[in-house]
Amino acid sequence: MSTKTKNGHSGVKAEHYKGTTYKVSIKRQATPDAPSRTEVFELPYRKGLNITSVLGDIAMEPVNASGAETTAISYDANCLEEICGSCAMLINGKARMACSALVDKLLAEAGGDTITLAPLSKFPVVRDLAVDRSVLFENLKAVKAWVPIDGSYDLGPGPKQFPQIQEARYPLSNCISCTICMEVCPQFNDQTNFVGAATIAQARLFNMDPSGAVLKEERLRALAGDGGVQECGYAQNCVQACPKQLPLTEAISDISRDVIVQKVKDFFVR
Amino acid sequence: MGAVAGVAPPDNSTRRRGVQPLRAGQGHEFLLRKLHSLSGIVPIGAFLVEHIISNFELVHGPLAYAQQVKFLNGLPLVRVLEWAFIFIPLLYHAGFGVFITFRGRANVNVYPWAGNWMYVWQRISGLIAFAYIIQHVWRQRFAGVSLPEHPGFAYSKVQMELAHPWMLAIYVIAMVATCFHFAYGIWLFAAKWGITPGDNARKKSAWVCGAVGSALCAMGLVSIFWVAYAKQYPIQDVMPAQPNGVVMPTVPTVNGAADYPTTNSAGQQVAPNGVPQQ
Ligand code: HEM
Ligand code: SF4
Ligand code: FES
Repeated sequence: MSTKTKNGHSGVKAEHYKGTTYKVSIKRQATPDAPSRTEVFELPYRKGLNITSVLGDIAMEPVNASGAETTAISYDANCLEEICGSCAMLINGKARMACSALVDKLLAEAGGDTITLAPLSKFPVVRDLAVDRSVLFENLKAVKAWVPIDGSYDLGPGPKQFPQIQEARYPLSNCISCTICMEVCPQFNDQTNFVGAATIAQARLFNMDPSGAVLKEERLRALAGDGGVQECGYAQNCVQACPKQLPLTEAISDISRDVIVQKVKDFFVR
Repeated sequence: MGAVAGVAPPDNSTRRRGVQPLRAGQGHEFLLRKLHSLSGIVPIGAFLVEHIISNFELVHGPLAYAQQVKFLNGLPLVRVLEWAFIFIPLLYHAGFGVFITFRGRANVNVYPWAGNWMYVWQRISGLIAFAYIIQHVWRQRFAGVSLPEHPGFAYSKVQMELAHPWMLAIYVIAMVATCFHFAYGIWLFAAKWGITPGDNARKKSAWVCGAVGSALCAMGLVSIFWVAYAKQYPIQDVMPAQPNGVVMPTVPTVNGAADYPTTNSAGQQVAPNGVPQQ
């Protein structure tokens, strides 16, 4: 490791700077159709860095490890505190949130001085680390993941919720739409076009809402369509990888049962 | 309210590639997937249990095994049962299972987690079972001496098959793979049909399924090794006198006259019973 810094960050406090550098290898792509390439950056080490601050450091002085001027990395981020859900990417090969991925841990995990960054592999690349995750929005719309309270007149207060229902719903309401559960799922791919765990969990969340339940049957029927809940192979990666610890496998199991019951009912009654 | 609430705005994204959105309420994959799932339990799983238990009769020797084979082949409409409840569901489950397998994108290399490994093993064990079942059904059911007609040859047919060490190895591997596939299949079924939604329920279910699978596998392996290492039985029909199916008794005669009474004590004529008597 070199002690020379190519990237002197002005805001660095002296006591945090250990005088060493580390490398970040980033898979880049200029446009959705451009070929991808890998660019390596060598950056001064500071304590307590996360990946969004690393990308910020590069943006301040976009010079790669061989000293050539380059462009800043494109990526999505907003809240920087793992709540907006926009910064998911492949970090050391695994899908996680850039803002909560710490350089110290990542270097220890990599066992070397290089961290690798790449865009999520199952979503079309827009540029560099920014991908188009609008499929999740489409899926949420397809299952009507909302409470229908819009109208032309005041609907008054909604029905009261039992605390037990609130408690069951709260963990499901923590989803930040990061799409990590979809990225890590072996069944979520362009062959199955599986809807993914997040949407199923949101259908469950709104089915359990006393007001949202009015659309319950429609949600269940939607989830029986091609790419629906039946595509789940129960690899359970979603629940392992979800940064917000949603009870995804439980939601999938519950929704599967509800969909089966709905389809049987429809078969005989409709 | 309903009209406003029920309509989602159109997809106005520029996304053309990648995974496509849910086809809400469209298509038939749901039914096909549920049939696949169900067929793994009944009838295929039920048949597997029956098959392993029946084959355990091997440890009681050639005659007991022959009687078990004869009993099964004597079931009413047995050929219809065989096709409707074994061959056709198995073909469907296996065919669709291969389709499911090759549509998945396994990633245990990146995410080496327990559930993810089970996902992969379920597919590998299914493929092993498929390859094994094809040769097993061909060699034991359709090729060679026909056991439905000559159940007395059942023991020696199995023993001859397992005489080859490599065939013995194939049977052992297939037994382990199939029992794993079935046991994890029950676990999957319970999880996917909403029978075991909670984490604890799924943990308990794993113990039960593991126990069922281990017991089945142990029984199967005992049967296999029992015949394979039992002393070589001569290749002969152990029940040559037992005709297959229902046969009308011919009236046995001695010199043209029946060799049993044809009148009762009152001197009235009685006809021989049309149903075979033991
Ligand atoms: C013969 C070749 C076979 C293949 C290729 C195969 C393939 C598969 C696959 C890929 C799955 C996972 C499906 C999913 O993700 O939902 C599966 C599930 C299952 N299989 Fe098989 N299988 C075969 C034979 C068998 C046999 C012989 C049995 C019975 C002992 C069996 C019982 C099951 C069960 C119970 C499930 C769980 C269904 C569920 O997921 O709900 N399979 N099979
Ligand atoms: S369920 Fe978890 S992993 Fe999936 S999108 Fe929501 S927060 Fe992300
Ligand atoms: S920037 Fe909001 S979750 Fe990472």
